[in-house]
Amino acid sequence: MTLLKEPDFGTPERPGPATVSVEVDGLAVTVPEGTSVMRAAAQAGVEIPKLCATDSLEAFGSCRLCVVEIDGRRGTPASCTTPCADGMRVSTQTPKVEKLRQGVMELYISDHPLDCLTCPANGDCELQDMAGVVGLRQVRYGYEGENHLDAEKDTSNPYFDFDPAKCIACSRCVRACGEVQGTFALTIEGRGFDSKVSPGAGETFMDSECVSCGACVQACPTSTLQERSVVELGMPTRSVVTTCAYCGVGCSFKAELRGDELVRMVPYKDGGANEGHSCVKGRFAFGYATHPDRQLKPMVRDRITDPWREVEWDEAIGTVARRMREIQDRHGSSAIGGITSSRCTNEEVYVVQKMVRAAFGNNNVDTCARVCHSPTGYGLKQTFGESAGTQDFRSVAEADVIMVIGANPTDGHPVFASRMKRRLREGAKLIVVDPRRIDLVRSPHIEARHHLQLRPSTNVAVVNAMAHVVVTEGLVDRSFVDARCEGFDEWAEFIARPENSPEAVEEITGVPAAELRAAARLYAEAPNGAIYYGLGVTEHSQGSTMVMGMANLAMACGNIGRDGVGVNPLRGQNNVQGSCDMGSFPHELPGYRHVSDDAVRTVFENLWGGTLLAEPGLRIPNMFDAAIDGTFRGLFVHGEDIAQSDPNLGHVTAALEAMELVVVQDLFLNETAKFAHVFLPGASFLEKDGTFTNAERRINRVRAVMKPKTGKHEWQIVSEIATAMGYEMSYDHPGQIMDEIASVTPTFTGVSFDLLDKLGSVQWPCNEEAPEGTPVMHVDEFVRGKGKFVVTSYVPTNERSTRRFPLVLTTGRILSQYNVGAQTRRTGNVAWHPEDVLELHPHDAEVRGINDGDMVTLASRVGQTTLRAELSDRMPTGVVYTTFHHPVTGANVVTTENSDWATNCPEYKVTAVQVALARPDRSSETEAAGNDLVTVVD
Amino acid sequence: MANDIARNLGHLPGEDAAEAIAGHIGRFWDPRMRTRLHEFVDAGVDGLDPLVVAAVKLLR
Amino acid sequence: MNNPSHSMATVYVPRDSAARSVGADEVAQALQHAADRGDFALHVVRNGSRGMLWLEPLVEVVTPQGRVGYGPVAPEDVEGLLAAGMLDGADHPLRLGLVDELPWLARQNRVTFARVGVTDPLSAEDYEAHGGLAGLRAALELAPADVVAEVTASGLRGRGGAGFPAGIKWKTVLDCADELKFVCCNADEGDSGTFADRMVMEGDPFMLIEGMTIAAHAVGASEGYLYIRSEYPDAVATMRRAIGIAREHGWLGTNILGSALDFDLHVRVGAGAYICGEETSMLESLEGKRGMVRAKPPIPAIEGLFGKPTVVNNVLTLATVPVVMAEGAKAYEHLGVERSRGTQVFQLGGNIAHGGIVETAFGITLRELIEEYGGGTHSGRPVRTAQVGGPLGAYLPESMFDLPMDYEAFAAAGAMVGHGGVVVFDDSVDMAAQARFAMEFCAEESCGKCTPCRVGAVRGVEVIDKIVAGTHRDENLALLEDLCDLMTEGSLCAMGGLTPLPVRSALTHFPDDFLGGRRLLDIQPVQATGPRTEGTA
Repeated sequence: MTLLKEPDFGTPERPGPATVSVEVDGLAVTVPEGTSVMRAAAQAGVEIPKLCATDSLEAFGSCRLCVVEIDGRRGTPASCTTPCADGMRVSTQTPKVEKLRQGVMELYISDHPLDCLTCPANGDCELQDMAGVVGLRQVRYGYEGENHLDAEKDTSNPYFDFDPAKCIACSRCVRACGEVQGTFALTIEGRGFDSKVSPGAGETFMDSECVSCGACVQACPTSTLQERSVVELGMPTRSVVTTCAYCGVGCSFKAELRGDELVRMVPYKDGGANEGHSCVKGRFAFGYATHPDRQLKPMVRDRITDPWREVEWDEAIGTVARRMREIQDRHGSSAIGGITSSRCTNEEVYVVQKMVRAAFGNNNVDTCARVCHSPTGYGLKQTFGESAGTQDFRSVAEADVIMVIGANPTDGHPVFASRMKRRLREGAKLIVVDPRRIDLVRSPHIEARHHLQLRPSTNVAVVNAMAHVVVTEGLVDRSFVDARCEGFDEWAEFIARPENSPEAVEEITGVPAAELRAAARLYAEAPNGAIYYGLGVTEHSQGSTMVMGMANLAMACGNIGRDGVGVNPLRGQNNVQGSCDMGSFPHELPGYRHVSDDAVRTVFENLWGGTLLAEPGLRIPNMFDAAIDGTFRGLFVHGEDIAQSDPNLGHVTAALEAMELVVVQDLFLNETAKFAHVFLPGASFLEKDGTFTNAERRINRVRAVMKPKTGKHEWQIVSEIATAMGYEMSYDHPGQIMDEIASVTPTFTGVSFDLLDKLGSVQWPCNEEAPEGTPVMHVDEFVRGKGKFVVTSYVPTNERSTRRFPLVLTTGRILSQYNVGAQTRRTGNVAWHPEDVLELHPHDAEVRGINDGDMVTLASRVGQTTLRAELSDRMPTGVVYTTFHHPVTGANVVTTENSDWATNCPEYKVTAVQVALARPDRSSETEAAGNDLVTVVD
Repeated sequence: MANDIARNLGHLPGEDAAEAIAGHIGRFWDPRMRTRLHEFVDAGVDGLDPLVVAAVKLLR
Repeated sequence: MNNPSHSMATVYVPRDSAARSVGADEVAQALQHAADRGDFALHVVRNGSRGMLWLEPLVEVVTPQGRVGYGPVAPEDVEGLLAAGMLDGADHPLRLGLVDELPWLARQNRVTFARVGVTDPLSAEDYEAHGGLAGLRAALELAPADVVAEVTASGLRGRGGAGFPAGIKWKTVLDCADELKFVCCNADEGDSGTFADRMVMEGDPFMLIEGMTIAAHAVGASEGYLYIRSEYPDAVATMRRAIGIAREHGWLGTNILGSALDFDLHVRVGAGAYICGEETSMLESLEGKRGMVRAKPPIPAIEGLFGKPTVVNNVLTLATVPVVMAEGAKAYEHLGVERSRGTQVFQLGGNIAHGGIVETAFGITLRELIEEYGGGTHSGRPVRTAQVGGPLGAYLPESMFDLPMDYEAFAAAGAMVGHGGVVVFDDSVDMAAQARFAMEFCAEESCGKCTPCRVGAVRGVEVIDKIVAGTHRDENLALLEDLCDLMTEGSLCAMGGLTPLPVRSALTHFPDDFLGGRRLLDIQPVQATGPRTEGTA
């Protein structure tokens, strides 16, 4: 086992297709036109010395180490900035260039500390390497000249140190922050010898705009920017390539270890989703896996008021099996169910839903996608025939117009956002549809052409109005619609009605008609228009309708079936796509096939044995309703904290309290565990072997770097529960589980661990028609044959603001914390977001006598909570915003039971609320609605 | 919930609306929930969208 | 004394900032007061400077015989001059004679500087009356490619210092398909001892505007930017006013002079960085970024300002274009020697008796410039060396003064014509200190991007100090030589690349100065003698 070091070709790849042929040190090599001499040499196996060049960044020409001689050309050009020309003959090792390189290194080392042996980068330092490679033997300038050796260290960031004494001013960090991440937090201050890397205007890293993505640390060739974990632990010695367990981007990382101690996570260049980039969470916030809060032993208790008792596995598993069967004996087979985790592996999810369907004998299984992207599943299935996004992330590089609806990618999907920003900096136009002025609207070198700042809950009205413009102004792509779609005429007649015009909806949406028309035209007239959307679309009472509305718009403009277009859901969880794929929904078996489909059911009955129920089961919100009714009494909750993340928490906790048996399988004792009778300790992603599927339908391998700290694999635990309940289930290895999945799921037939090891990752469908996967879907025809236009009437939500609750609350997430914060709150990331805050517009604050930083009460008709106010004009007047990362705030106490009509996805994005200065005797409390509010409010 | 479905599928012409609603409920609702809905319709509970009533008829 | 029988006299007092720095404004004021008092009928015109800086403030009076010059005039001299009959061109100790017949001017071949000092720089009528716009009118009759051909045929090379054929650069831009192209004028004139660009902008701004407009027509550009160093506030103000006047007269904007050409020009001001005289740094600065050098390729002609095809030329280059188009390429090409065609505007400065502008055909020798025009040193001591081409130019020993001013001849001799600055030093100069200064200057002005310049210049100063102090002299001389090689061959741009030029010339031609304890101890200080007429203040 060794440390994996990917080759660095020095400068980025060029796309071609034209090629040129050159000779480097006598070796012939053919490369795409525009390739640098340095990269051509590397491809020919000749590594030209370099320091300021790295293949994730455009060539810069700073260090001057890479000088070469070229036949027929004067002087000694830098090979990184010299493009190959056909027939060029390059010599990389002549006496002249060798002398120059030594001269350059001599200058560098004359201003560098000589503490290699005690430096954290010892063994992984490019400066050290180059000194060796060029044969530096003396520094004739001595070391008493002007230098930077007493520059002060900046240790403000919790994860990495900045030691400018070691800086060689190569600007790789500055360039990475710009080109790769797109934040432009770093610059060079001063000029000449005084040049120094500076985060912002002389601030520390922590105070600056730095988002701690780690791109600069990765780019730095010396120890100037160094992971604190390496400083403290030393250099890792082996690598395991695995996948991040935070968000739906699914970045590939090299977990670098010493023994089984994880030293650092380094983004993997060959990762299909991230191509060498990362964000603060995946890169640095892995400490939760070894946090003391990890509950490593199973625990049981009879009543939730009793203290927990640690027990052995046999007892815990036996308790679950016995008590579940008892409930079924007394209340019927459908009185129990399970919730699969969108953060566990595909194999684990499959096994849980198999347990529910085959061992429990019902279809009461659901997953967290219920509360986020279930409308995506419904809407895209109706219109296109498949419950998934249409493109891969790379596709954004071909987009001409990008429309971001109800998503905040720089916070929620940062690594994908960096790709998007790169394309926007290249000149693609941006339309943002969001009540908030998200960062993307105006950020370094990017400005949205249109920001449609609509009122929450009016999404469908806006998308209909855009489609109205397309149809009535003759912007429909007729050749596409005629060849590939059905239902257009009825839909077009509907959408062309005056009530769907931008002018007619201006009043309710708050979007000026002229602006909406301009945005619609921009999208429609683009050669490639791409829609990216998030929970601001789905978490609404018309979430499914909106998804179909966007699909209608995309089809009408012919924006499906090639790179640069599409309808792209930014799925949140690391494996929510996979969880849905694996049959976690109560109405669908793995592969999105309805339980009532006899043929499909037979396949599974043959595979699993026994009979399977043909009726849909309970969705999560329905489970709560049934629990309060008394007909649902046992629940297995896998890796989800419903008592923090689901809406209308009062209702959730009442439901949990009503149940006889709540089993929680998780890493930590979370909010839900407060209501549990059995706690089964789970394993972190570092302890798992399996696969995650990201928002691109990309199946990535997760590889264990250490054995499960709990002693059992999660799929083992579930298999043993099923077995103890009388249904034999056992596997030797998760690869077998994937093989089983592949054997019965047409979109997965080609998938196996072997294939994934070979290809790195693969986007389903992966089968005989597409043995290496499918980056772009619906290329020749839609999965359902023809794309279907669906009429999408705007139906206002029931949730209206009233005199009592005059403001609208919308919720979301931020970069440094992840969802309920179970993981990120247990890492250094708390430095950035120690508490949830309520963002409100200064006008709304002023009329309520609220100042920035005051504690305020946030109340809705179902509950109230207290948190700190932050005045921000990112919000329009009338709308307030908060996050849900900290249980102590319990933001979901105030969200209601309103949900999407088709899928019950909760309407997190629209809650009528009132905000008032908190009375002094309250601090961070949550309560169900009571009379208190009436007296506090006007 | 059923009323929400009706509001969103009610635009369909004639009997298609009731059929669509019935289809949706059949595909996605747990049997217990359907039984409750039947009970509501039978009891003539106020406020139920007529389309829902029609859909339930189709479901029986 | 009154001369009521005389009609209104026209008196020229330069507005050029060099003249202002020695009291021209006060002289003009004094004249104006006299006029206001009613004693004399005169009106003052603020012209450009004739470039005879030791004679500034140079007052010219229009007489039937021509313009008679008096100088250098101090404010307190005005009364006496007027009384003596200056307005009639009468005799006076400060009387110089007919300005056009002064040997300094008469011997020159003022092509680019033809109007500087002659006209009112901000008078559109004066400009046109003296041949202004003839070039633009001629160019607008031609297709763009033909304008480019004409400029190429003239042999005009970049006067900023690089000496690259302007026509070839323009052709590259013309051949680019882009719809948006730019013309940028590099007016960052940072070389010590140079002032020609400044004098053009202050003395004949319309000529520069006309030149840029012709360039726009030739390459298909619609926008122009004039990047002026922050240390030239008078030039900035003058150009801004001139642009405003040009717009009023339809010389800029849409449908220029009734043609299809749309072109507008904007002034941008630098912020104290010599490196922004390097074209790619200038472009970075124009884009609002730090003035860092860009690697080439791509060249600015193809990917320049904001990534668009861009002409970048020096002030003198663009200012010469109108006369090339008006008189024809041949006339310009006819002047000069070898591959250095046309005229160069030399700027004589430093320890020189007669400093100023000498415009003449290439081929003149350095000796002629320094001795016949310059009149030797201001101090009266023997000339020891002259640095030609700015702070990155070589120091030539007196023995090499017979070199003809010619790009290639100078290059072959290990020297540089550059922007035409000639800075003279007498025998009290310490050439080791000058070599040290070259490194110090580089360290001060380096953008910091590349290692040989950023670190090398700092080490260069330290190594020279060690040499002079006698510390391991031989090893450090060898090290200095290696460092010069490294900077010459390895630097990203000419800042680091040319710094070794003055250093090596000092080492080659004045090696003894590096032995330490320079002859300074042997030099007897000499008092500058003679009346003010022999030198500038």
